[in-house]
Amino acid sequence: MVSRQRSPFATAVVIASLLFLFVPLLVVVLFSFHSVGALTLPFRGFSLRWYREIWKSDEFRTSLVNSAVVAAATGAVTMVLGTLAAYALSATRSRLRAPLALLLFLPLTLPGLFVGLSLLVMFGRAGVSLSLWTVAGAHLVYVMPYYLLIAVATLQRLDVALEEAAADLGATRWVVFTKVTLPQVWPVLMGATFLAFALSFDEFVITFFVIGPESTLPLYIFSSLRRTVDPSINAISTLLLAITLALFALSFALTTRGGRDQALAVPVEGGRREQQ
Amino acid sequence: MNNNDDAVPGSPRVEAIAVQRRFGDVTALSEVSLTVAPGEFVTLLGPSGCGKTTLLRIIAGFDQPTAGSLRLNGRDVTKVPAHRRPVNMVFQRPALFPHLDVASNVAFGPRIAGIGKAELRTRVDDALAMVRLDGFQRRRAHELSGGQMQRVALARAIVNRPEVLLLDEPLSALDLRIRLEMEEELRRLHRELGATFVYVTHDQREALALSDRIAVFSGGRIEQIGTPDEVYNRPATPFVARLVGDANVIAVDAAPGESNSSVIRLGDVSVLVNGKVRGPAWLVVRPENVQLGLPGVAEALIGTIVDVSFRGTGFAYRVDIAGLPHPLKSEVPGGPPLAVGERVSVAWLPSAVCLLERDDQHHAGKIGLNQQ
Repeated sequence: MVSRQRSPFATAVVIASLLFLFVPLLVVVLFSFHSVGALTLPFRGFSLRWYREIWKSDEFRTSLVNSAVVAAATGAVTMVLGTLAAYALSATRSRLRAPLALLLFLPLTLPGLFVGLSLLVMFGRAGVSLSLWTVAGAHLVYVMPYYLLIAVATLQRLDVALEEAAADLGATRWVVFTKVTLPQVWPVLMGATFLAFALSFDEFVITFFVIGPESTLPLYIFSSLRRTVDPSINAISTLLLAITLALFALSFALTTRGGRDQALAVPVEGGRREQQ
Repeated sequence: MNNNDDAVPGSPRVEAIAVQRRFGDVTALSEVSLTVAPGEFVTLLGPSGCGKTTLLRIIAGFDQPTAGSLRLNGRDVTKVPAHRRPVNMVFQRPALFPHLDVASNVAFGPRIAGIGKAELRTRVDDALAMVRLDGFQRRRAHELSGGQMQRVALARAIVNRPEVLLLDEPLSALDLRIRLEMEEELRRLHRELGATFVYVTHDQREALALSDRIAVFSGGRIEQIGTPDEVYNRPATPFVARLVGDANVIAVDAAPGESNSSVIRLGDVSVLVNGKVRGPAWLVVRPENVQLGLPGVAEALIGTIVDVSFRGTGFAYRVDIAGLPHPLKSEVPGGPPLAVGERVSVAWLPSAVCLLERDDQHHAGKIGLNQQ
């Protein structure tokens, strides 16, 4: 091993990168609590006036609710479809497994612009009028690969012997799934669902293409920026940031906790079952 | 899970009929037939990859034979899925449900069978008492030792009162001390339950200690089925002789002797052995049947001790005999030990050896019969 010496240059680069990443965020958060309308220093004191301001706006409240509805619908459908797909992918021995997995993970690599545009064209051809439902459908395409990555990895780690033991004790496939498989992985699946919710909640590019006359929170921020620059925009952004961070934190806590439980599930060393 | 509706009275508990299992080009089992009587403890013994586990998994319903059929109580169950067979399995690893405590693990089967709450409780408590884990009801799997986990797995299986209990090397992951303790428990459970046990192991000592009958597997076939005594004292093939216990296996040529005996040449000496085999043969002698004495008797086999090791109850020797390709193994109870280099006479009772027909093409190449 080459010993790594701490170089002052490397330290400086790290600090500069962190400042570049987080100072703008801190500035936005800080000025969302500013007591006056100025967007520049000096800082004149704290107040919640901008939060009260935005709460008065019907447009803001509607777009917040819209975002929540779209994210909830996306999250729920992703959980159901994604769990079933992940279970099938982790259990099948079919030759189609690899190509199928590739297809399901592919949207991960597609630019949002491309996904948005192609979905817009598809909805247009199919005669589907744009609405929040088309947004939710588009988000489903966008978040599904993330959900599947987590769910497939988790389900594949499960011990096959546990499912065989359950079947041996009289459990049908459905009972095995609900009584043995799901109880072991549900925290992780919940975490992945919150991730899906968070991804959908602050999605902008695809939403921009496929939304109808309504607005979501990210779209509302974008459109208010074009009108006026006013500190209330900081308050909205801070709210969005807080909600997203909370969801990601929740997701992280659940997925890693599930991982630890799983480690305990295989107390005795030994690989997959012996196949003679 | 007792599903006796269409059982045929008087039929064997388990009957594998010409069961074959192929994985692609690999034949894991080739036309294996095995019959297990009600209440019997049968062990499938063999090295890894010999097909014993495959047969057990076919009996459990986790695997389907590519040809042949399987009957339980005279009823064909070849196509019946695992969850509808009146058998339960104990796995190599305990495979306890990590999200459930001990009691719920044990209650898993009866709950699915729809056993009422009151009876469920007594059944679970009884099963845990059976494996001596009273008071462990609320523990989680990760709070138990390896031996305790395997006991829970046993309780989880026997609580369903299976007609056949399948055990897939259940002790192989345990320490030697726990293993010996568990062997005793298994014998006791078998006596108390009166259920049929089918046990898979690669450990010949376990097989001899536990079983009513042993089926010795090799290369997807059964080499011999018999009681431990038969398998040990009258091995059908050199493979069985070597797998079960220790043995000297010597290639000899047998000539007819008086009545029911044969004469073989070992080095410069002719020896009389029981059994009528003519021509190429294997002479099988257990080390504990090889007696060492002072040289002097004419016509006796004479050798030189080349190795001595202490075995607790006595000493193990290797004796080099002129004309034999490998030294002979001998175990003598008690001491004092003979020294390396000492010349001894080697003898055995004619009834303590067996003579097996030798088919060079078939065996020597396949099993690699060298003296160890």
